Amino acid sequence: MNLDKLQFKASVRSGWQAIDLGYLMATAWWRTLFMVGALPSLVLFIPLLIVFSGNPFWAGFIIWWLKPFWERLPLYFASRKIFAEQTTQSEVLLQTWSLFKKDAIPWLLWRRISVQRAFNAPITVLEGLTGKSRRSRLNVLQGKYSDTAFANQAIGFCFELISCFGIAFMIAFFIPDDFGFDTHSSTGDLILAGEWFYTIFWFIAMMLVLPFHTMAGFALYLNRRIELEAWDIEITFRNLAHRKQDSTSKAASLALTLLLAILLITTTTSNSYAAVNHDSHSAQQLIEKVLDGEDFGQEKTVREWRFKNLVEENEDKIPDWIIDFIEWLEKNVDFSNADGSPNYTATWLKIMLIVFFILLIVYLLRRYRGPLMKLGRGKKTGSAPDVMFGLDVSPESLPDDIPAQVMLFWHANQQRDALGLLYRASLSRLIDQHALAFKSSHTEAECAALVKTRGINSLSSYFTGLTRVWCHLAYGHEIPELGTLEKLCDDWSEELGDAV
Amino acid sequence: MLDTSYRVEIPGGIELEAQVVGPVPRFLAFSIDFIIRGIFLFIASLVSIPFGQLGIGFWLILLFLVEWFYPVLFEVFRNGQTPGKKALGISVVQDDLTPVSFGTSLVRNLLRTADFLPFFYLFGLITMVSNSRFQRLGDLAAGTLVISVRESSKPATIDNITALAPSTSLLKIEQTAMVDFLHRSQQLSHPRQQELASILDGVTHGKNDDGVDQLHRIGAWFLGVK
Repeated sequence: MNLDKLQFKASVRSGWQAIDLGYLMATAWWRTLFMVGALPSLVLFIPLLIVFSGNPFWAGFIIWWLKPFWERLPLYFASRKIFAEQTTQSEVLLQTWSLFKKDAIPWLLWRRISVQRAFNAPITVLEGLTGKSRRSRLNVLQGKYSDTAFANQAIGFCFELISCFGIAFMIAFFIPDDFGFDTHSSTGDLILAGEWFYTIFWFIAMMLVLPFHTMAGFALYLNRRIELEAWDIEITFRNLAHRKQDSTSKAASLALTLLLAILLITTTTSNSYAAVNHDSHSAQQLIEKVLDGEDFGQEKTVREWRFKNLVEENEDKIPDWIIDFIEWLEKNVDFSNADGSPNYTATWLKIMLIVFFILLIVYLLRRYRGPLMKLGRGKKTGSAPDVMFGLDVSPESLPDDIPAQVMLFWHANQQRDALGLLYRASLSRLIDQHALAFKSSHTEAECAALVKTRGINSLSSYFTGLTRVWCHLAYGHEIPELGTLEKLCDDWSEELGDAV
Repeated sequence: MLDTSYRVEIPGGIELEAQVVGPVPRFLAFSIDFIIRGIFLFIASLVSIPFGQLGIGFWLILLFLVEWFYPVLFEVFRNGQTPGKKALGISVVQDDLTPVSFGTSLVRNLLRTADFLPFFYLFGLITMVSNSRFQRLGDLAAGTLVISVRESSKPATIDNITALAPSTSLLKIEQTAMVDFLHRSQQLSHPRQQELASILDGVTHGKNDDGVDQLHRIGAWFLGVK
């Protein structure tokens, strides 16, 4: 028993998880397990069918009764396979007789009705214990797993039933009626053809399910042994011992390397610093290389189903009032020709056309409601801000004669207020008279740039100059000369003075 | 290496591990749920039958709702566990190990119709054993898994042991093995313990019982015993 080669992960599992591991084993080695189970039983099944051709259920029953023996070959194969021993199908089949004769009588008679068969089988087949020693071993092993072992056996039986009827029904569905195939007579009794039909699928189902519950029982048995003999601990301990052995032999060579390294370092100390540190350029390259690597650079396409945006689709639905309107029409409009005879077609066509045009207009209004509303609001109703960078720019807050007031502030030694008023008034006029779409989030420079887009050169150069002077005062505390201010005031009247 | 564990690496570089659950426990859990539904519907029929046709109508609506939404509601509002799954200690999660959402639970349960074919979940069984995560058709479509819910392990009682620091550095798995060796010393036969300890002669520098004793004390040290 070489635990290093164990083909499954040794750990103490719960009973259910052990069964799941058994099902994994069965799927992993499915082909061989199925063949070594099915071939010997088929060899017996065919002669039995011939013997009991009038009553084939008996053939099925005998195969069913001998199931403990059919399970022995898959079990033997798995016991080799878990330790990675190469065993071929024919090698296992050669063992058939020697495996079958192990403790055969009890298994053929009273042990056949054991409800933990798959769990108990390894003790006979693999450990070769009989009689009293088998019983005491069973007592040691079974412990808390007897319920799980029973559940495995019972559910294996359920799966067998499901497979048998599932496959049989599916095949029966696909047989055309013309074939005249029937499993039951007209009175509802099972006829011979039906008996044959179900017996064959019973056999197939038995052989299909056999590897699963056999492996589940075997895995449960292995789990118990792992628990009692601490296989998982042994494997880890062995690896640890190996690791330490390796590291001691490595330590010797490491000491030599260190000695050499020290020698090297003492001779090349001056260069060593530069050699270790990357300059930023090569470091950048290294980083890019790592980021391009497999760990970071993977791309994958993920496809999934998502709900469409249903809200968007609903937008163009016909509103309820149109339906009401049509109903109203039906009640109130006279569907008749001039001579009084009813003429539904023409009247309906007329109504449909009218409704169509109304709908078209409604649709167009809805579709272009944004631009239309802007049009209706006109220049004035643009959402011009009242306050920009903390300055009140609403027209109401301004005095009537701006330049005079500005000079008044200047001479009262309130230069900041003077220029502030001038700048404020300019913004206000630009919003009012030139309908510039300033937003409260704009900066002074952005306002100046916006003025430039109007294409009036004198205005934009004036405003740019004013902005510069104002910014220098406001943020740089540079008081302009009186001449500059006077010129700004004069120009203001020209550019932005009352046009009204 | 065959193993029932399923691993997911989350963005932080942390690996989450769960044990996938196979057909046998799931079939049992299903049977328990099936019986619960049966009992509930039987009681409901006793209540509704006196109301005649109307009662039968309501009972049929109830049958529809119970059949389709019993698993969905339990899975969404009870941590992915129907009563049957709770009894078996298993739970439905999405395949990134996050809790199952209403949509995914609905998909996996509506697709029971496909798994059910041709007779009592045969297709479901076949799909389950043909992939290593034991997903049936509904699970594959919805991207869900059934995993086992870890039972909290009992705190071990350690008496009369003085801890011993290991003389050499140990990997995490080796530390766990040392602790396991201590915890399971009741189950392991004495000769087997000696045999296991002898593997680590080179590490513990103790023979026979001395080696076993040293390993126990190292295990206790990893458990935080002073």
